[in-house]
Amino acid sequence: MTEVTQPAGQSDFREGMDFLDTRGQRLVILWLPLGIIMLVLLFPFYWMVLTSIKPDSALIDLESTNPLWTWNPTLKHIRILLFETAYPTWLWNTMMVAISATVLSLIASVGAAYAIVRIRYRGSQWIGAAIFLAYLVPPSILFIPLAKIVTDFGLFDTPFALILTYPTILIPFSTWLLMGYFKTIPFELEECALIDGASRWQILTKIILPLSIPGLISAFIFCFTLCWNEFIYALTFISNASNKTVPVAIVTNFTDGDVYRWGSIMAGALVGSLPLVILYAFFVEHYVAAMTGAVKE
Amino acid sequence: MTDVGVKITDPDRVGGFSWERLKTNRNWLSFWFMLPAAGFLILFLAYPLGLGIWLSFTDTRIGRAGQWIGLENYIWLWDDSVFWLSVFNTLLYTIVASAIKFGVGLYLALLLNMHMRFKAVIRALVLIPFIVPTVLSAIAFWWIFDTQFSILTWMLQEIGAIAPDYQINWLGDATLARASVIFANIWRGIPFIAITLLAGLQTVSISLYEAAVIDGATRWQMFRHITYPLLTPIIAVVMTFSVLFTFTDFQLIWVLTRGGPFNTTHLMATLSYQRAILGGYLGEGAAIATAMIPFLLAAIMFSWFGLQRRKWQHGEGND
Repeated sequence: MTEVTQPAGQSDFREGMDFLDTRGQRLVILWLPLGIIMLVLLFPFYWMVLTSIKPDSALIDLESTNPLWTWNPTLKHIRILLFETAYPTWLWNTMMVAISATVLSLIASVGAAYAIVRIRYRGSQWIGAAIFLAYLVPPSILFIPLAKIVTDFGLFDTPFALILTYPTILIPFSTWLLMGYFKTIPFELEECALIDGASRWQILTKIILPLSIPGLISAFIFCFTLCWNEFIYALTFISNASNKTVPVAIVTNFTDGDVYRWGSIMAGALVGSLPLVILYAFFVEHYVAAMTGAVKE
Repeated sequence: MTDVGVKITDPDRVGGFSWERLKTNRNWLSFWFMLPAAGFLILFLAYPLGLGIWLSFTDTRIGRAGQWIGLENYIWLWDDSVFWLSVFNTLLYTIVASAIKFGVGLYLALLLNMHMRFKAVIRALVLIPFIVPTVLSAIAFWWIFDTQFSILTWMLQEIGAIAPDYQINWLGDATLARASVIFANIWRGIPFIAITLLAGLQTVSISLYEAAVIDGATRWQMFRHITYPLLTPIIAVVMTFSVLFTFTDFQLIWVLTRGGPFNTTHLMATLSYQRAILGGYLGEGAAIATAMIPFLLAAIMFSWFGLQRRKWQHGEGND
């Protein structure tokens, strides 16, 4: 226990006081544990990338060559994936569903968050709390009744089944996040606009929304990531291979037990992750703000 | 319109409720603003939640409307050893994974809060397991835990921990399969906990530590009496989410083991999917899903009140 907690106190010095430690001490209390944790966290991705560029023969040969590296990378798996399977269709489906559901959710959330924070109607506090509770309802307990509802509405096996159900996961989160942003916008701006005769709609679109663009970006990329990530609804509501999303299609249409498939499976996982990783690389700060913002409220 | 505006912008009058105000424009206005969100949440969240509970009291199957059968599904589950096994698995999975995620996540947050070079890059890299879709990283784990070509087995063989021709059946042995899925869950959950706790750590004022150093506090005392008490509110929220999503996990298990071997990694969520969607017994699956609700409420209550209580005590003695 002491070994774990010693660096704990140390960490709080931040700049200013860490000149008290020698280089050797810092190696043991910071770089060594951090290095081990980072190695474990990143190894699966290294392995994913490596597998997707290894030639087939190297995939199942752990003796004659070092499996942790390859000297003759190949793009064969990625080529097969993109040109000989329905992967581009799945990628397109995922993209369409994620963008549509995110846009719908943001429109709904902006309205709800604005009404709760600024119009402050009767019982708005309770609605705010109810939306937070909705955040805590997991999809795992909703997918069975939703499967019935989706079928009754005639949406089964269509993209609309996903576009209309994903917002239930996204709206609570993004409403909560946007409420936090709207609260930081000075009230006086709205008062001025009201005195000048602006309507609520004008205030929302011309004052509030332009000022909360960082919040909207955060909400957008986080919702988009959640959509891309979603599995249980997509697995339950979609049965035709041409309507599937990437995560579901890889699990159900790609894995046939053939060892030589592993290269393509890993390539599929890699290509499916890339859009999110690229998006993340450009918006790290917004992403972290989204993640911590909703928790801090 | 201006009239409404004046009312709205007067914070003192907002709190006073009367029936007359219900009819003023403000409520109608907010009704229109709320409508899209409320529509989605009522139609696809509140209604299915109720419908799920109702379905659990019927014998509905896929393609056939059910009849009310009272508690029959629950009585059937009560005598079903697979159901109880899944309850045990879920609790084991949640408790072990959440405890380790919390410990390592907090430790990682404290490490990341230290002054170091390449801080921004390291932080960005930490979050990657959280960004990559769970199913896709689970597939990478599936390959890592492969029976024949597992890189983990190879590493253990190379360092001489096991005999060179010995193969470890990572996902085929009950205990190992449980450990493997728990490991994958921990791996996936740590970044979220570490980064949110780090955000909390950054709000702690450095002058508190300076004061503590002057008073001769040890590092452990500083952590115990400054960092931890100030962090409890955010720990409560983060762990509530973590426990909740671990308890209802589906994706990892479905990709890695589908509940096998011999149901030893079946969680309640995967079992309900198997019974309801693959087996077609919607009523029974809904009963399993509904049976998760009391556990979820208990978990929320526990992590919320259990940790929240300490927030009021901060500055006081040991607990």
